[in-house]
Amino acid sequence: MAISFPSTDYFEALKAQMAANEEKFRRLGFIDTTFGVTVGVNGKARNFILEFEVFDLKNVSEVPAIDLKKVDFQIEGDSQVWREMIENIRRNGEADSAHDINTLAHFGERLKIVYDDPDGHDKLYRFMESIQEFFDLSSKLEVSF
Amino acid sequence: MAYLSTTNFTEDKDFIDKWLYTIRTGEMDLSWMKSATEKISPEEANPRRGLTYRDLNLGTYGYTDIPEKVRANRSYAPRGAEIPDGVPDAQPWVSRKSELWAFNTESYYEEAMSRQWNATTDIPWDRLEGVELPEVTGKALSQLMTFLTEVEMIATDTPAMWLPRLNPDFIEVRSFIAAQAMDEARHAEVFRKRALTTGWGLMQASPINEMALKHLRDADSFSEMSVALHLVAEGNVLTMFRFSEYLSPTDVDKKIFRLVMQDEARHVGYGMQHFKYVLDHFPEKREVLHAHLDEAENISFAGAAATELTESFIILAGGGLKKENIEQGVRVTTQFNLKQMEEHFERLDKCGMPERKERSKLYKMYEMGRAAAENAGIKL
Repeated sequence: MAISFPSTDYFEALKAQMAANEEKFRRLGFIDTTFGVTVGVNGKARNFILEFEVFDLKNVSEVPAIDLKKVDFQIEGDSQVWREMIENIRRNGEADSAHDINTLAHFGERLKIVYDDPDGHDKLYRFMESIQEFFDLSSKLEVSF
Repeated sequence: MAYLSTTNFTEDKDFIDKWLYTIRTGEMDLSWMKSATEKISPEEANPRRGLTYRDLNLGTYGYTDIPEKVRANRSYAPRGAEIPDGVPDAQPWVSRKSELWAFNTESYYEEAMSRQWNATTDIPWDRLEGVELPEVTGKALSQLMTFLTEVEMIATDTPAMWLPRLNPDFIEVRSFIAAQAMDEARHAEVFRKRALTTGWGLMQASPINEMALKHLRDADSFSEMSVALHLVAEGNVLTMFRFSEYLSPTDVDKKIFRLVMQDEARHVGYGMQHFKYVLDHFPEKREVLHAHLDEAENISFAGAAATELTESFIILAGGGLKKENIEQGVRVTTQFNLKQMEEHFERLDKCGMPERKERSKLYKMYEMGRAAAENAGIKL
């Protein structure tokens, strides 16, 4: 059955995939960061907080708003951009060179990285490959929009 | 040989007699068993993570209570061990905690160890088979890789040359610095490998780049080196790696830049936390740090604007040498340059130095660049 995006179910499914691919994430190393994901849908935002610890996504929650002082950074974008990214991952098995997180967010034109503390912001890059591989696990999911 | 033992053991009769006596009789001294050291029972705070340095932060073995001035240990005795008479003075240059300590030092080291990667086997080099970049783009990519190899060779030397100068009581920082040297060696390796797989060989070394890098290598103090290397240079290089990932012409290049940026961001994290630590604990050092920044920003401005780098970026960002390519390349590269400077001041602001903009000549360059970009119609 297809998993709806955006939803906690989607991130929970990625969490299960991360656990099932533990060896890959162990190889990539510790990932200790809490960040927000915001998906703009029809002028409104749906906000999720992902808490990673050691090799795992420990907790996923949907919240009314994200307090930037409580997360390292937040990735925000319109649902169309997220959809394009996920569909690209589904097609290629991983994000192609135009659809990885850094490329989509670099100048903030498609996805935007917002943060309160630059040290928190830098955690996106400290754990970049793990975060990219995490989203690339979408290739193993059937997602509906 | 700079250090000669004060005893010629192979000719010392007492020493040789004792050695032979032990072999002959099996009689042992065992005084070391009476070491007046602390007994502790460290445990993993999180078994998924394993036994970390933080788990060992206990009693006399811990780092919390390291004094600002380490006077008791000038040898290679591990922190917490008994130090008998006769241990040589290792003559460490850095025995003040504020000169090198950073908040969370130990976790940066653990992260470094768990996130090591291998430039030979973790990069899908086979995907480059059949990839032929146009001459201009291929040469620009090779020039970028040549430039970055130069950067990473000095970035390897610089932390490595400070290692033997750091008091061994600061084992967590020493470990982090050793891991950093390894990270930088791997970066030099991966950039050299990529330059040589472009099919165009290496391009040209950069005098301005090397002048900037020499400043890092020849810093007068560890703290000066850290401000220049971890905070300023690597901060700029982190933005550069993200930009390079954005511009990368192949998935292989994307992967390379994602992996190197992880290491670089960790080094910047240490630099920020060291800078904060100094400002928090020794506010009187603020002026000294400004002086370090004056010089570091001067050379980082020059290095970031080096012809060999800027022109490579313009070509990679624009996709060629036609007028429209160059216009596009200049637009994107200028956005990157200004972003690089913005992020530098953002970091300093968050570290507790918001006044830096007012006295920084680099900030004046930023304002000048921004005005020039706006006049040229470049959207920021």
